Amino acid sequence: MSTETITPTSTVFGAEVPQPKQHGKPGGIMRRLNLGTALIGGVGLAAISGFVANALIPAGASTVTFAPVAPDVVYLAILVGWTIGFSAGIGAFVGPIRWLFGRDLTHADAEYMAGKDLGVKRYFKFTTDHKVVGVQYLVVTMFILGFGGLLAMLIRTELGVTWSEVFSPGFYNSMIGTHGIAMIIAMIVSVMGPIANFIMPLMIGARDMAFPRLNALSLWLLVVAAAALVSTLFTGGIQDGWSVYQPLASQGPPAMLGYQMTIIVFAISTGVASVNLMVTALTMRAKGMTWSRTPIFVYGVFGAALMGLYAFPFFQYSQIMALTDRIWNTSFFNPLQGGSVWLYENLFWLLGHPEVYVIIIPGTVVLFEVMPVFLRKPLFSFNFAVAGIVGVVALSGLVWAHHMYMTGWAPAANYPFMLSTEMISIPVGFLVLVVIGTMWRGLVWTRLPIMAVYAVIFNKMIGGVTGIYLSDVPVDQYMHGTMFVVAHFHYMLMGAGLFGAMAGLAFYFPKMTGRVLDERTASIGFWTAFTGFQITFMAMFVAGLQGMPRRVLQFDSLFNAPNWISTIGAYIIGLGMLIFAGAVISSWTSGDKAPANPFGSKSLEWQTPTPVPLENFEVLPVVTQKPYSYGVVDPYQKEMDAADGDLDTQKVGSNQ
Amino acid sequence: MSAETQQPLSPTTGEPISTIGRRARAGLWTLIVMDAAGTIAIIIAYSYLWSLNVNAGWAPPGAALTGSETDQSLPSSPPKASFAVEWPFWAILGLVILSTLAMWFGYKELKRGNRAGMIVGTGAALVIAVFTLIAQWIQISTFPFAAGDGAYASAVLLLCASNIFNLIILIFLQLGMLIRTNKGLVTKAVFYQPQILSYWMVWLCIAFLLGAICTTFMVESPNVNPAIFGTFDQQS
Repeated sequence: MSTETITPTSTVFGAEVPQPKQHGKPGGIMRRLNLGTALIGGVGLAAISGFVANALIPAGASTVTFAPVAPDVVYLAILVGWTIGFSAGIGAFVGPIRWLFGRDLTHADAEYMAGKDLGVKRYFKFTTDHKVVGVQYLVVTMFILGFGGLLAMLIRTELGVTWSEVFSPGFYNSMIGTHGIAMIIAMIVSVMGPIANFIMPLMIGARDMAFPRLNALSLWLLVVAAAALVSTLFTGGIQDGWSVYQPLASQGPPAMLGYQMTIIVFAISTGVASVNLMVTALTMRAKGMTWSRTPIFVYGVFGAALMGLYAFPFFQYSQIMALTDRIWNTSFFNPLQGGSVWLYENLFWLLGHPEVYVIIIPGTVVLFEVMPVFLRKPLFSFNFAVAGIVGVVALSGLVWAHHMYMTGWAPAANYPFMLSTEMISIPVGFLVLVVIGTMWRGLVWTRLPIMAVYAVIFNKMIGGVTGIYLSDVPVDQYMHGTMFVVAHFHYMLMGAGLFGAMAGLAFYFPKMTGRVLDERTASIGFWTAFTGFQITFMAMFVAGLQGMPRRVLQFDSLFNAPNWISTIGAYIIGLGMLIFAGAVISSWTSGDKAPANPFGSKSLEWQTPTPVPLENFEVLPVVTQKPYSYGVVDPYQKEMDAADGDLDTQKVGSNQ
Repeated sequence: MSAETQQPLSPTTGEPISTIGRRARAGLWTLIVMDAAGTIAIIIAYSYLWSLNVNAGWAPPGAALTGSETDQSLPSSPPKASFAVEWPFWAILGLVILSTLAMWFGYKELKRGNRAGMIVGTGAALVIAVFTLIAQWIQISTFPFAAGDGAYASAVLLLCASNIFNLIILIFLQLGMLIRTNKGLVTKAVFYQPQILSYWMVWLCIAFLLGAICTTFMVESPNVNPAIFGTFDQQS
């Protein structure tokens, strides 16, 4: 670096490092940018874009199908304006612009951007510290889950009150679609966002993620996407399910554009998050942390990120094509002009099924971190666990078409896809065996995180076994499109994914918030929700077996009883979740201060002080043993003890 | 400490620049995986629609329509430049390869300690990339079809739009590299940024090549007796 640009030096973790020229106060323009400026920028640019688009469209302009052009184009302009304005307002473009003009960050700039001395304000800014991003993810995820959960309650209210129509059919349909995609988004980020961001760098002995600015970008793009999703409720709603099949979606209201924009932005958010998590795991592990000494959670996060990395672009491009079909009259999915709806379904499910494992794998590996701590024994067959994750990742891209058995696409391919789908139960079975093997003859320290493992395994077994039924072509011919399918995927996504994330939150809560979780209240909430979950979805299995189709507003009175039971169960889930959320919020705001390592864990993340300092570790650690070595004598420690013993003997000898 | 003779440290994290470079290279490979998945999605769309020729609606310019009812409803656009769907794809690929070679020349010169060579190489790569972007735009604006003229038009336009997006990002990165080299922030010792940009450009060449192969060798659909499906319009 030339001497013109670098003048002073700064002490950075003990080393004297030449610094670029400091322009003004540390942080520069980022000092002025926060959530407030982002909202002003987003809303302002959305309004301007909308007005301009409206002014430019000729009055009465219509598409080839005689639909008016204005609502679509204006709404799209608003969405694009919102995305660019919000991103600019939060400071997402400052980094690239500074890079372009060669105004590199100084250490003081980087510390400011990491939120040093900013207090609570740092949670409302483009903060780069992975711990802040983890907490931001937690809050955003809870909001999205709350939004999706509220819609679920309303859906169940409609289905439970079988004698009257509570909502209009159109609004009911849009609640179904919005609930579906909101929950999918929330579940994808529920472990990968809060826990992986906060915990993984600590777990591998790193000071931060590999690309801190990308980390902040992924979080704020999620906020942009979530707002776009909520906006669909006011523009006609997502009326054809979360999968928004073509050509139905192309004939839907402008809200479809909101869905498409949500997915396009969310895919970028997931992509940059995946890049960040993978590179962090690959290149930032502490000295001595060989792959056999790397915690299984890191493998799971890496695998899920890899699946997200290759699968999300298919989903993103399916929505880009759907958007151009609608706005520019292209014909990717319009059979009239050579398009194919099967193309959409293939692209959609190329993401749609790996995404299930993007949710389930992190929700499972977080349990693998919990079990050794509360059973005080090593993880059973670490290599099996790794093989299970590798197997799931390898097969995840070969199972998508089991969602398309009944569409008429390539019937000859049904049986190969049936085989690949059933094969994936083998690596998933490895993961279940690891859980059972670890629990075998373990002395359980009965705290909420470990008790949640039992709940998750119970749900996962039911979800997994019913999944094997559904992967069979003959069974799927009968079950397809019924409530049985709905119950099955809720057992996997909510039963294994969400309850796994709750277990993870209960475990890492003291480290993330610096407070002790009120486990008694949280347990009441957890088990209430678990009970409600069984009532809701067991009844839904019954309705499905009786033949009740999914996504319907009106149904035969034959299905009244299971629907009433299901609705009562849903209210119980809602109650349980409220109690759990209440325990989390009250503990976070007024709980007792947590000690650094309340569960006596041996892994690195628990060896840091609580609250975790900005730099995580004063001196970067060196790893000398495998993870989960509970009850196993550390050879290094043994050597040290032996040396101490020799010294003592010598001392005793000399005294004699 | 002189950055030219000793391993420089990152001003923000205090780590050796080689460590930062290793991290950035790993990031590059993951980004290539992500971009490749997107490119494959486009290629799948192109080849899928090409092979099916649903309702004989693939309809590349100049292709004989099979005369089904739906074919007649295809909007006809006046031909602008029929050659736009021929050699320009390869010409644009050639320009991207040329820009990549210039970038690699600059990077190699930088590794030899010749910063001026790096500036010349990056500058040339930038000029060629800008010229490529203009050429790509001219090609799109002279296509003998519009977006609504069948599946072929849709698939080709998406490929070109993807090229434009990649070129805009590339120009931004090359411009940044030029400014940063000029300011002395990119040196023989701090070379990882031009290195990963050079690798990225190799991937871009592959992506452009895949597009050129599709648009050259997959024009007329092999499905001469395509399925004719009803549409919602007809049902109503």
